[in-house]
Amino acid sequence: MIILGFLKRSSLISWRTWGLLFAISFIWSLHIAGISERDLVNQGGWNLVWRFVVAAIHPELSREFLLLTLNASLKTLAYAVCSTFFSILIGLIAGVLSSEVWWSIGNNQTPWLFGRGILAFPRAIHELIWGLFLINIFGLDPLVAILAIAIPFGAITAKVFSEILDETPRQPLLALLNSGASPFSAFVYGLFPQAFPNLLSYSFYRFECSIRSAAVLGIIGAGGLGYQLLLSLQSLRYEQMWTLLGALIILSGSTDFGCTWLRDRWGLPSRLDLNVLNFQQHRKLLQRDSVFISILAAIILFIFSFWYVQADFSKLWQVRSYERLATIIQIALPPNTSQLNQLFTLATRTLAMSILAIASAGFGGIILAFLAARNFVLPQGILSDATKSSQLHLTFLRWGVLLCTRFFLLFIRAVPEPIWALIFLFVLFPGILPGAIALGLHNLGILGRLMAEVVENLDQRPLRSLQAAGATNPQVFLYGVLPSTFPRFFAYILYRWEVCMRATVIVGIVGAGGLGRLLTEQLSSFDYNSLLTTLIVFVILTFIVDLISASVRKTLR
Amino acid sequence: MRFSWSSFLLLILPLTACSPNVSKTATTAQTNIQPLVTGAIPDRDPEKLQRQYGKLAAYLEKELGIPVEYKPVTDYTAAVTAFKVGELDLVWFGGLTGVQARLQVPGAEAIAQRDIDENFHSVFIANKNSGLKLIQNTAELQQLKGHTFTFGSESSTSGRLMPQYFLQQAGVQLTDFKGEPGFSGDHDKTIKLVEAGSYNAGAVNEKVWQERVKNQEVDLNRVQVIWRTPTYYDYHWLIHPQVQQRYGKDFVQKVQNALFKLNPQIIEQKEILDLLAASKFIPTQNSNYTQIEAIGREIGKIK
Repeated sequence: MIILGFLKRSSLISWRTWGLLFAISFIWSLHIAGISERDLVNQGGWNLVWRFVVAAIHPELSREFLLLTLNASLKTLAYAVCSTFFSILIGLIAGVLSSEVWWSIGNNQTPWLFGRGILAFPRAIHELIWGLFLINIFGLDPLVAILAIAIPFGAITAKVFSEILDETPRQPLLALLNSGASPFSAFVYGLFPQAFPNLLSYSFYRFECSIRSAAVLGIIGAGGLGYQLLLSLQSLRYEQMWTLLGALIILSGSTDFGCTWLRDRWGLPSRLDLNVLNFQQHRKLLQRDSVFISILAAIILFIFSFWYVQADFSKLWQVRSYERLATIIQIALPPNTSQLNQLFTLATRTLAMSILAIASAGFGGIILAFLAARNFVLPQGILSDATKSSQLHLTFLRWGVLLCTRFFLLFIRAVPEPIWALIFLFVLFPGILPGAIALGLHNLGILGRLMAEVVENLDQRPLRSLQAAGATNPQVFLYGVLPSTFPRFFAYILYRWEVCMRATVIVGIVGAGGLGRLLTEQLSSFDYNSLLTTLIVFVILTFIVDLISASVRKTLR
Repeated sequence: MRFSWSSFLLLILPLTACSPNVSKTATTAQTNIQPLVTGAIPDRDPEKLQRQYGKLAAYLEKELGIPVEYKPVTDYTAAVTAFKVGELDLVWFGGLTGVQARLQVPGAEAIAQRDIDENFHSVFIANKNSGLKLIQNTAELQQLKGHTFTFGSESSTSGRLMPQYFLQQAGVQLTDFKGEPGFSGDHDKTIKLVEAGSYNAGAVNEKVWQERVKNQEVDLNRVQVIWRTPTYYDYHWLIHPQVQQRYGKDFVQKVQNALFKLNPQIIEQKEILDLLAASKFIPTQNSNYTQIEAIGREIGKIK
């Protein structure tokens, strides 16, 4: 009740109040990070960073190492494919079960809320923590990595799927129901086809996320690119690191590109449309052969991936696994509440870390988004001057800016957050600052790209009419571009803030402060009772962030 | 149309070009006997570990007459967990991780250690530009206050547990360092970080340090040993009780014999010993690690 009341009231909070709250919390976060007081920069580490940067000129290209890199890349890809498969499977089943529309068929209102409530738990816990937990049940098996991604991602997918289903127009469904079709077939034939483009588009996005996540999971030993990256970094072999980073960029970049291309070709809605689900999109004509080839390629990729990871799926129904699960739960209960004070301090530090990260990623993203948007930078763009754009060197310069920005964004998002954190730990003392910078950089890469897409999909008509009415370029930008892009920008920033909150754990694990640091200590001490308490605090923290973000989004609409 | 075909080809080409490295395990499993799975905590450069344990596995396979596999693990905690759930049968643990694993597996036994492990030391190393002086006795550890300091892994006996214990005895708390203390992950990284000056000082396994000095992999103009800790018990082989059901009652004895039999006179066997930095293996027993257990509890690494 309190939460609902808060939500109702919060929708009345104005823009200005949110702005003020943000400013206060940002300054508070800087204070927590100790910007003013403690020693932050470790001067001694600069030569290591320098060596790392210089190594970029000559990455290791021996045949043996390239082969190892190829193997690692395939492994990461295969993990991503398998786990995407399972997350979508979980997402479909749980998504339908937690959608309002499914239960409304049977005139039963309560279960869907319950369903969404349950989904919030697996969602709040990061893949890496799932991984470390699942080792306890399945041992050292590739299955651990697949499930570690599939469980939280499945829950996220389920939430988004259920929202898509709920917002899909219901007339055809009701028509089928009224004409006597069974609820199930009415659902399949009346609702699903309409929701399908959105579901598919989101599934593509999940695949892109899975690639990044599979790379991160390598760090706890699941193998693949993340693992090799960590090994090279641990033994300070920077030349090898750059080769691996190159492979990661190619893998991540081609997945992003491929998914965007398919989405575009099939007329699917762009990425995850967070605020507006558009059901009247004018579809391009589907080319049948491209669909056929893609399906064939997808099937081959699936078969290859499942064969390549060699996971022992029989462990899923072995009694032994369930016995281990029961033992772990038994050991972990009851949670140890003796250190609540320390937990509270660390929770505030973690919160501060996420605020610093997302604020810097957001500001940077807004600036870089315009530099990475085709319709903004290139000649014939929104603000380009027709007389100047014909000059050749200017055209080159514009292309240069566009490509550089895009590559920069791709590079910083392809490198997993823990790797960024480890690099910054060379020159910064352990604490929340290196963590915040690592998270901020990675999210800047993601936000910059999402926002650039918003700019590229801008409705041109109001801008043209402003120009026709004689507005100068800065005026068009201020009164035409900003008002139509900013709400979407902030929606994305808030969404990434939720993701950032979860990810604070993984930079903490490599020593960058906050609750994650405590989690590593507790994990390595096998102190499951305290671990459980920390996880609960973490889930609560994630809820709070979700709640704030949801109510800010409400103000945005 | 042409574009979609080429993208299709792009997708499948790498798939056909390469075969996974899992085929190796498939061939060793041809015999019906379940393999003995060995492992080790990743305390040093992982690439070197991979090499040395391959040779050891081959030796044990020959001696014991059963298939032996080496499973690489990337993290101390994961190694203990894998032993706990029975995925690893015979593991080279550090003092602390060995105790942690043994406490979670009733019947697990410490069966062998290197001759050096019963008198093990850590060394504190310092960058020469840090101004840190040689330390004569424990009380002088006080001079580390206000300097930057890094440990190895959180669960390392020689890189964290014992150094932290001696620091505490000298009245130096973790909060007394400049900034927060680092946890580098392994001994090699600690050496490199201190050598580079990223940290003023650090604590490392003496054996790893000596090896790196011997092979001239450390720049002694930039980093030096400032203190050698008192002795304690450290590394040991821990064996899982499930091997007795699998291979018979006397199996533990057989493994012990195989390890004790490693002879530095025989070139191949010397290689294995060298890689583990041992001159020979000697017996050990669970009770040798009561001090480690007590300190582990005191520092909070054992609950």
